[in-house]
Amino acid sequence: MSKKRETSIVNFMSQNMMLCILLVMIAVFSIVAKGFLSVGNLLGILRSVSITGVIAFGMTMVIICGEIDLSVGSSIGLSSVIVAKVAGSLDAAGFMPLESSVIIAMVVAVAIGAVIGWVNGKIRTRFNIPTFIITLAMLNGLYGLAAILSNGFPITTLPSWYGVIGAGVLGKIPVPAIWLVLVFGISLVVMNYTRFGREVYAVGGNMEAARLSGINVNRVKVIVLIIVQVMAALSGIILSSQVYSGSFSFGRGYEMDVIAPVIIGGASLNGGLGKVTGTMIGIVFLGVLMNGMTLLGVDDYVKYVVKGLVVLVAVLVNAIQDELAKKSQ
Amino acid sequence: MSVLKIEKVNKAFPGTLALNQVCCQFESGKVNALVGKNGSGKSTLVKIINGTQKPSEGRVLFNEKELTFSSPADAQSQGIATVYQELSLIPGLTVAENIRMGRFKMKGKLIDWKQTYAEAQEILSSMGITVNPRAQVSSLSMWQCQMVEIAKAMSSEPKVLLLDEPTSSLAQHETQILFELIQELKKRDVIIVYISHRLQELWEICDTCHVLRDGNYIGAIPDMKAAAHEELLHMMFGDTKVKKKPNDLMASDEVVLKVEKLTRKDTFQDVSFELKKGEVLGIAGMLGSGRTELLRAIFGSDMVDSGVVTVEGKQVAKASPEIMKNMGLAMTPEDRKFEGLNQVQSIQNNLCVASLKKLSGRFFMKRGKEEAAAAKQMEELQIKASGPEQSVMSLSGGNQQKVIVGNWLNTDPKIMLFDEPSRGIDVNAKQQIFEIIWKLSKKGVSSIVVSSELEELLEVCQRILIMRGGRITGEIMADQIQISQLYTTCMGGTIEV
Repeated sequence: MSKKRETSIVNFMSQNMMLCILLVMIAVFSIVAKGFLSVGNLLGILRSVSITGVIAFGMTMVIICGEIDLSVGSSIGLSSVIVAKVAGSLDAAGFMPLESSVIIAMVVAVAIGAVIGWVNGKIRTRFNIPTFIITLAMLNGLYGLAAILSNGFPITTLPSWYGVIGAGVLGKIPVPAIWLVLVFGISLVVMNYTRFGREVYAVGGNMEAARLSGINVNRVKVIVLIIVQVMAALSGIILSSQVYSGSFSFGRGYEMDVIAPVIIGGASLNGGLGKVTGTMIGIVFLGVLMNGMTLLGVDDYVKYVVKGLVVLVAVLVNAIQDELAKKSQ
Repeated sequence: MSVLKIEKVNKAFPGTLALNQVCCQFESGKVNALVGKNGSGKSTLVKIINGTQKPSEGRVLFNEKELTFSSPADAQSQGIATVYQELSLIPGLTVAENIRMGRFKMKGKLIDWKQTYAEAQEILSSMGITVNPRAQVSSLSMWQCQMVEIAKAMSSEPKVLLLDEPTSSLAQHETQILFELIQELKKRDVIIVYISHRLQELWEICDTCHVLRDGNYIGAIPDMKAAAHEELLHMMFGDTKVKKKPNDLMASDEVVLKVEKLTRKDTFQDVSFELKKGEVLGIAGMLGSGRTELLRAIFGSDMVDSGVVTVEGKQVAKASPEIMKNMGLAMTPEDRKFEGLNQVQSIQNNLCVASLKKLSGRFFMKRGKEEAAAAKQMEELQIKASGPEQSVMSLSGGNQQKVIVGNWLNTDPKIMLFDEPSRGIDVNAKQQIFEIIWKLSKKGVSSIVVSSELEELLEVCQRILIMRGGRITGEIMADQIQISQLYTTCMGGTIEV
């Protein structure tokens, strides 16, 4: 191997450490975990990460923009409740059958998601309150609201075709995996090829500089906060479809699973840094890790510990990578 | 009486000699002024005395004993206290907590609050400061903070007290209260070194005066009372000649920007002026004169209370940076790091922030246009970097400033507002920035330059507005005035030349 080739490989590895670790992990599981390397299992991994993965791309934008949304877990539950509740109510009132009323219900759920994001954004920009606090309050408020709307019980007024969205298969490919890849693609294009994407990076990197460059900073912040909530609503639809019901308890505690892949993917909570592809790596990383451990029969509680450690290690790896990059410049 | 002696101190920075063989001495029982224009080396000397920087050569002696500091904290414990112009109090804590910070009276392992407050009260009243030690610092006014800052410095019973522009953010009557305090401190055995830009203050408060110019110690005025104003000004500025600007700068009668009675409460009042097409207009003023705030207000980054801004005959309804940008204005901010650049991003991205709309379609960026725009500015402004993908963080100050300028040039502005364009950049880069301004002028782009370095304004501008206390107090043509005259006018004109 020539010297030049060698340094370029070293460069690639030092710039893509998480990807390399992911590939090593896949290799290891392929050997030690029986059944890991089968098409069915790999597609299954994509299906299992789709619920939180879909939101993670919105969260990537939010974090690059220098904000956070902790309320997405509760939004999943609220969205699932709204779909089932609205569909059932329209049907019961005799407006239209369940089969078509659920479509209206989904639109309503997504619209309410957008409104929640808009409210978060307006409070953030109008009163200059950190999104950490606003969305922490939302996390509780929305959870309670979903519980009130559903009287604390799962609602099952959903048509049979509805299951396709979250549990269907297209050939061999699970439908939710398609949603995941679709959202990934759209996010990739938005963040890398559109003006809006540039504005998000500019606002997150230095809000005052962006403002003085004539960028409407508040508008950008409100939009990313709407996007992540819309994605949370979509995720709630996928989840409710998988289990044929809407419940306030859905999505409880999912914030961690949404934020972790973004951080593993290299985004900085200080804003301005992060990549959509990084988040995709983070999503697959967590999915593979959980799946591999399940196949190896690792205890559930141990999995939590591992998951926590992985996030810490990922942050360290990204910090080391940054230092290396600075040195090489 | 104690004496602080500076002996043959040299301080070299890459490319410049900030201090060159400086010898002088400061005595207790007097207020010793240290003056010099910007870049004369006075702040470097202060930093050497208080241990923030080490001299390249030479010694600092206190009563014939050499002082060596391992850190600023070490200097403090050896009795060197500094009060900086940017206040260093913690707003969320009380006055007493700030004064005794790090030196709390303890009762076993716990803080003895009663004693702490009593001591703080004692320190304050011994200096005649009537501030409640239990008051939260955030509730105090600027001058009260400045007094507390001095009380804090004095509470460690220092041998040397360095006051770095203590009056820069104070109003006239507040300054008087501060002066009474300083007079009081003179009775103690402490060496007071007083640095100020406001020359007329020196006659009021100082007993002796030491002058630095371009890193050299020019000399001392042993008795301020007997000194003439011309003498000091001559010591400060010497016989400097202002460099020639090109004589083919555009001069037209077409008004592109008209500002009428612009007012922002407590900042600037009734500011009116006109800017012609292609003109390079300077705004001269000392720190706190409202010059930066005025520029920010014109660009819409701050709100105004009243007044009208008209750009090319169109009256601006509700100014914001976005609207002003669309009207053809551009502004390079005073603070590069916090207001100008996105440090974590590449040169190219930083060069295209303001012009994103021009470089994109309805939604999508046009990669080719973007690369071309960045390449054009890197070439024309001679931005030295390995390539457009290098992050701006690793650039020198001058190159960073050029990136900010380039970012705006990509919007094809008609009016450029430069706020302290040469701050913290080297002489070469400074000259390049000036040349950019002149080149723009020849193309018909007008500029407003705000700077505290007055010679610079004489060098780069055609016309200069004098700003003092939030008002425009005069207007001069750059080639009809001397630097010392300009300085005097900015200071308030009480000094006759």
